[in-house]
Amino acid sequence: MDTLQFLLGGFAVALTPQNLMVAATGAFIGTIVGMLPGLGPINGVAILMPLAFALKLPPETALILLAAVYMGCEYGGRISSILLNVPGDAGAIMTALDGHPMAKNGLAGVALSISAWSSFIGALIATVGIVLFAPLLARWALAFGPAEYFALMCFAFACITGLMGDAPVKAALAAVIGLSLSTVGLDSNSGVYRFTGGDVHLSDGIQFIVVVIGVFSVSEILLMLEQHRSSAGLIHISGRKLFNLKEMAFTWWCTLRSSVVGFVVGVLPGAGATIASAMTYSMEKRLAGPDGHFGDGDIRGVAAPEAANNASAAGSFVPMLTLGVPGSGTTAVMVGALSLYNITPGPALFTQNPTLVWGLIASLFIANVMLLVINIPMVGVFTKVLRLPNWALAPGILAVSAVGVFSVHATTFDLMLMSGLGMVGYLLRKQGMPMAPLILGFVLGDLMEQNLRRALSITNGELGILVESPISIGLWIGAVAMVVVPPLMRLRAHRMQAADAA
Amino acid sequence: MSDRILGAACLVAGAGMAWAAQDYAAPISYEPVGPRAFPLLLAGLMALAGSWLVARPGPQGFGLAREHFKTIGLAAAAVFAYAALFETFGFPLATTVMALPVGMAFGGSWKQSLAGGVVMGFAFYLMFDKLLDVVLPTGLLSFVLGGR
Repeated sequence: MDTLQFLLGGFAVALTPQNLMVAATGAFIGTIVGMLPGLGPINGVAILMPLAFALKLPPETALILLAAVYMGCEYGGRISSILLNVPGDAGAIMTALDGHPMAKNGLAGVALSISAWSSFIGALIATVGIVLFAPLLARWALAFGPAEYFALMCFAFACITGLMGDAPVKAALAAVIGLSLSTVGLDSNSGVYRFTGGDVHLSDGIQFIVVVIGVFSVSEILLMLEQHRSSAGLIHISGRKLFNLKEMAFTWWCTLRSSVVGFVVGVLPGAGATIASAMTYSMEKRLAGPDGHFGDGDIRGVAAPEAANNASAAGSFVPMLTLGVPGSGTTAVMVGALSLYNITPGPALFTQNPTLVWGLIASLFIANVMLLVINIPMVGVFTKVLRLPNWALAPGILAVSAVGVFSVHATTFDLMLMSGLGMVGYLLRKQGMPMAPLILGFVLGDLMEQNLRRALSITNGELGILVESPISIGLWIGAVAMVVVPPLMRLRAHRMQAADAA
Repeated sequence: MSDRILGAACLVAGAGMAWAAQDYAAPISYEPVGPRAFPLLLAGLMALAGSWLVARPGPQGFGLAREHFKTIGLAAAAVFAYAALFETFGFPLATTVMALPVGMAFGGSWKQSLAGGVVMGFAFYLMFDKLLDVVLPTGLLSFVLGGR
């Protein structure tokens, strides 16, 4: 059992005092960031990433911090969903549907604790899934050549645009913008400077942190100005703080089912927590049939989406670690973080850097236990943070963001670029353009171009190599299906609704 | 702003990219695909998506919220000013200067925002620079805090 041995090695890494402390800090910060409406896992990871680098944390410790923040966010989102009826992050939208009615019926404590419990189970199952499947996938992916990689990345973009729903063209456009931003700077193959306008600050390319912070943090502040968030409707937690055994048994199978579905959805590149939680919610609603009272505080309506969004968050580590192609916007940011350390995730990572991979996997287990522990008894502490006024929060976010950007290169130019990208990001988001494909494009741009050029070098420019191997053919078919099938399904659902109405 | 404007902007950006990329050529080429192909491909895709948006704009334009126009402009200006003054004023002072308008845009009184900025400026400076070893500029206050 190689895997078990590696996992034990991973626990040896994760259990060092420094890494334990970092995981606990990350879990705590993540819960707060996830809980605050507007701030989601991408913001949290983006703001902390440069700081981890500036603090000179070793790569595995930095990754543990970011992973703990990510997991924490998926826990935290439910708190504001349940108590405020405002989802703390996108993955917790479904939780509000039944969580808030439960809280209004005086069951806030039960809703919070059962959702923490199902979050725990979801993340646990998904982490076990990583241990079982990631090494297999990594071994298989070692056979990938440049042509297969190029096809894989196109598949990832197809997933993220096809599953984005209402605006696939805008999602595709976002990906193209991200890819274009990544071409700025020196082309290492030929020594040509591209799109730099002769500016020395750009000859190295645009810093990843500048893009992420600009597009997510700065634009978020401007978007926050338009939403009036207040803690006025905050429901006070009264009555029973913990779920009882009967409630646990009642939700057990639904939690398990949702965890497995969440994990599978998370592994698919591009499909994240939002889709996973929405899918499992409607699945459980259908399964429950007339017995359920979904929408007026059914406990399963809280357990299912929470299990699913945590499972999908953990599942999205699988494509990132094994293929180097991130499964969600947040893991895309983590790939960018690793690139600061000159580490390129991919199948070789499992053999070349087992400390990093298995240390991360082991800390997912540990961070998950920590999150369960801090999320059930300490919910009261977190709700106090929800009362933090925006006039203090927004400048705080800006200040920490600027510190992060400044800590990398210490230039005013980067700060100005951050502000500029923030404005552009704001305008694009106002137009309903999703930002996750942009980040994915920016992260994958260089890799994609390199693999395309390498593949075409093999055949001296003959395009046929891109569709030669069965793996690439399968990936291309998958990519086309991802783009074509969801709109067709929507069309069908539309027709059926129209037929029902008639 | 409507989808049409976004689409037109993409068309312009795509054309600009193609124009800038047309003479990217390697001095000595030893691979069939040079530095020009990928940017040109992206320029084409961007123009394609742009023309789609021009031809078939979405049903509802989101539009900039007019009632928030002033506060958003104020906050945006504050962000740029913060970036510009970060080094010369130094972190604590620049943060104070930024927190005043941003805090007020978010509904704080000027006293609250100013106090929040001063506290944050110095607390974050002490935490990051002194405690966590992330070096921050001290700017105008360098005679008190040291550094530059």
